[in-house]
Amino acid sequence: MEFFEQNQMYVVLVVVLAIWFGFLGYMFVLDAKIKKLEEQIKK
Amino acid sequence: MKTWLKIAVSVWLTGIIIAGIAFSMVKVPQTWYEFPFIPGLEEKARNIIFHVPISWATVVAFAMSMIYGIIYLRKKDIDYDLRSVSSASLGLLLCILATVTGAIWAKFNWGSFWNWDPRQTSIFILLLIYGAYFVLRSAIDEEERRATLSSVYSIIAGVTVPFFIFVMPRIMSGLHPGSLGDEQGKGPVLEFKMAPNMLMVFFASLIGFTVLYFWMYSLKVRQMRIERHVQQITETH
Amino acid sequence: MMIISTSYHIFVKEFVSEFRTRYALNALLMFVVTTLSIILFSIGQESPSIDVLSGTLWIVIFFSAMSGLSRTFVAEEERGTSLTLRLLVNASSVYIGKLVYNFALILVLSVIIAVSYVLFITEFTVKTFEIFWLTILLGSAGLASASTILAAIIAKANTKGTLFPVLAFPILLPLLLTCINATKLATEGAFLVEAVKEFQILISFTVVMIATSFLVFDFVWKD
Repeated sequence: MEFFEQNQMYVVLVVVLAIWFGFLGYMFVLDAKIKKLEEQIKK
Repeated sequence: MKTWLKIAVSVWLTGIIIAGIAFSMVKVPQTWYEFPFIPGLEEKARNIIFHVPISWATVVAFAMSMIYGIIYLRKKDIDYDLRSVSSASLGLLLCILATVTGAIWAKFNWGSFWNWDPRQTSIFILLLIYGAYFVLRSAIDEEERRATLSSVYSIIAGVTVPFFIFVMPRIMSGLHPGSLGDEQGKGPVLEFKMAPNMLMVFFASLIGFTVLYFWMYSLKVRQMRIERHVQQITETH
Repeated sequence: MMIISTSYHIFVKEFVSEFRTRYALNALLMFVVTTLSIILFSIGQESPSIDVLSGTLWIVIFFSAMSGLSRTFVAEEERGTSLTLRLLVNASSVYIGKLVYNFALILVLSVIIAVSYVLFITEFTVKTFEIFWLTILLGSAGLASASTILAAIIAKANTKGTLFPVLAFPILLPLLLTCINATKLATEGAFLVEAVKEFQILISFTVVMIATSFLVFDFVWKD
């Protein structure tokens, strides 16, 4: 318990990074999907 | 947008997040990865690395919405209307984020989430103005008329943005840094009150969020173009 | 100058068409009377703070503006005369004529409301009359300037009635706050110079709104 009290900032950091990586993953996946659709339209 | 730029901004902002959150704040910084303690703000000062760049991106988004509105009125190419809506909707999202991060900071610094401080009031009005933009759009069915009237409104709304973000909070007295009567002058950003390494992280965040905004904007515009294309195909059948 | 005479004729036309069938103006007047009565009734024997009274004064003026100022364009569409007007008169004259009409309308309404406030609410004591009446004048100008272009925009949309306050309120909010502040100064007995900042804001708001409207009105009017 004391570990979590002393290193609270790092807990925050891990949580924020988890959310951030999730968001980045979503962005890249969306980007790929859109690119695929754009190519389909071009044909 | 080039792929390398997307990867670069991802790595860039990851670094900013780590620096903003994990760099310790000590009374006398010994290394480049330590921020100085700001009395009165202490750890809460970290928020400045996120809250201000998001607000800046909001201004960029709304300005772009107005510019594309103007271009649409001159060229009547519907693509510019798509660009105008995309910027406006991202601007609204960023505005909400700026308001929320501000309110959280307010809770810790001023005691409550909402104080009707002039800057809080002005960002709230901005939310209403751009919310009304989308209400207007939903009330018009014909594509060209909707585009024309939205462009006109985006110009009117865009003209008020500088007043609400840069003028109003500075001429009225309030709690937010930079308001009238603030002993620290125009606030930590304009008066460069942050330590050099913190300043660097701040400016890096500013650039990073702007590039991230452009990435999100390009996705949104492309999505809207595809949607419109599909809609046109299904209509002609 | 042609444009001044054409604008004047549009202004007169607005008056004539509204006075011909007076129901709209009567409804507006009834709205003002009703709202004032509600406020007087709810005050009753209490003495509300003068700041609250300054706020409610402008609430009444604002909602009267919301009821009345969109009619110039919406009624045009409803009567079907919009197309004819577009053919006969150039856009700028239409805008100026309707703007001046709106200004006259809201000025008369706000004067009625302000006078009623001073007469019927004993706690509402105006100490600096110059500030008070100047605020009414400039506030009406600001209300009219923003409302006219927004009315032109929503006249072409579907849900005109409810759309107008939704668009107008955020844009008019800084104007309202400034007017309320200036009214508070007037009731406190401040000197005229102390309200200069408020007047500057009101004037610049009106000027910016009219300038933007001029640039943009053509696109709204010519569909």
